[in-house]
Amino acid sequence: MKSIHFIVNGKERTVVCPPAKTLLDVLREDLGLTASKECCGKGECGSCSVLINKEVVCSCLVLAGQAENQVITTCEGVGLSPNLDVIQESFIAEGATQCGYCTPGIIVSAKAFLDEIDTVPSVDEIKTALGGNLCRCTGYTKIIKAVQTAATKKISKPETIG
Amino acid sequence: MLVSEIDMITPSSLSECLTQLSKEGRKHRLIAGGTDAVVRMKEGKWRPEIWINIKNLKELRYIEESKDFIHIGPLATHTDITHSPLLQRKADVLVDAAGEVGATQMQKMGTIGGNIGTASPAGDTLPALYVLGALLELTSLKNKRIVPIQEFIIGPGRTVLKENEMITKILIKPQRQNEKGIFQKLGPRKAQSISIVNVAISLTMDQDRKCVEGKIAFGSVAPTIIRARKCESMLTLGPLNDELIQNIAKIAWKEVMPISDGRATAAYRRDMASALLERGLYRLIRRWENQ
Repeated sequence: MKSIHFIVNGKERTVVCPPAKTLLDVLREDLGLTASKECCGKGECGSCSVLINKEVVCSCLVLAGQAENQVITTCEGVGLSPNLDVIQESFIAEGATQCGYCTPGIIVSAKAFLDEIDTVPSVDEIKTALGGNLCRCTGYTKIIKAVQTAATKKISKPETIG
Repeated sequence: MLVSEIDMITPSSLSECLTQLSKEGRKHRLIAGGTDAVVRMKEGKWRPEIWINIKNLKELRYIEESKDFIHIGPLATHTDITHSPLLQRKADVLVDAAGEVGATQMQKMGTIGGNIGTASPAGDTLPALYVLGALLELTSLKNKRIVPIQEFIIGPGRTVLKENEMITKILIKPQRQNEKGIFQKLGPRKAQSISIVNVAISLTMDQDRKCVEGKIAFGSVAPTIIRARKCESMLTLGPLNDELIQNIAKIAWKEVMPISDGRATAAYRRDMASALLERGLYRLIRRWENQ
């Protein structure tokens, strides 16, 4: 067991756990942040996506010891009701979620993608950015629409983005 | 060994890391991006007593140029490679290949050193490194040696890396002005897939579609990456017109040595190796003519 310190969603957190425990399990079990989901457990589905230092990664393949002292953002950190991020509002407005299992991972990936760009992305650019996130319900059309809507809102009102 | 019993050491410098690697009488393993290592740990295949975590060892994460070589640190991620203006200009085939590894998450986590060390026959950056004549610097506490990539990988997942050694640098020859490359991949879907066949091509071009020198490397069609020497020798026979390109593609069908596995049959792989090479050559020539 090791005492491991991170900054999660802006808060300093310390957990005591085996260093080879995955970051995903630490987030869910030790910190009670259950937005990030385990699905494939091998980096193929993106349900566990979180940001480490603003880069989107699969938390199921990061060991807790490797994330020590890093800045981690989960879907809860992107926004929680009533302070939702523009990307989350767009997902609701476009109905871009069905069972919801993949949604937190997609929100996190989309957040990282939108933070990197300052134009409204094309469908192909969105597909590339979200290529690592699988959804088995909606067929992606609404998800892509939601990302475009969020990008449009973000560009027209940049001051609203936190 | 249970996952909960595995310890972790995070060296703060390369020399500290090499000292840790040289310690005998215990089972340890390097872990960087974790995209292969953690999967294998979960599968029970890799259960070291200690993970030597080099994920944030900054001195091994760089891309820079010297007089004769481009130097790439093994911890450069696939995203670092696709975003590097230097590699975009002088190693386009590697940029292409790194952009085909998994999808965003895997490209941000996975490192080029890891892709080489894993030595998968389907590793996407490997054919590109073969056509770029990559040399690997392997370092242990007391020794340093340079090994060409084709001598480093000796089988599926097997390399000549010793237990106390690690890859500390990747050297590639920069492409010349008239040299262009391309990487083509066939997977079950566009993003996030393991290659069924992949191919890297690098051609040095002259006037009128003439090729002065060309290199072709296939992945996923043999136990290791293979250079298609017969196809390469045909590249310089004359202008790369439809007839020559199609003949080269036919030879590729004979030159690859695929097996059938869960992803595809051997016959399908042969057909696709031929088709990918043909498509790659056409696209590469178009790229050359449009530049």
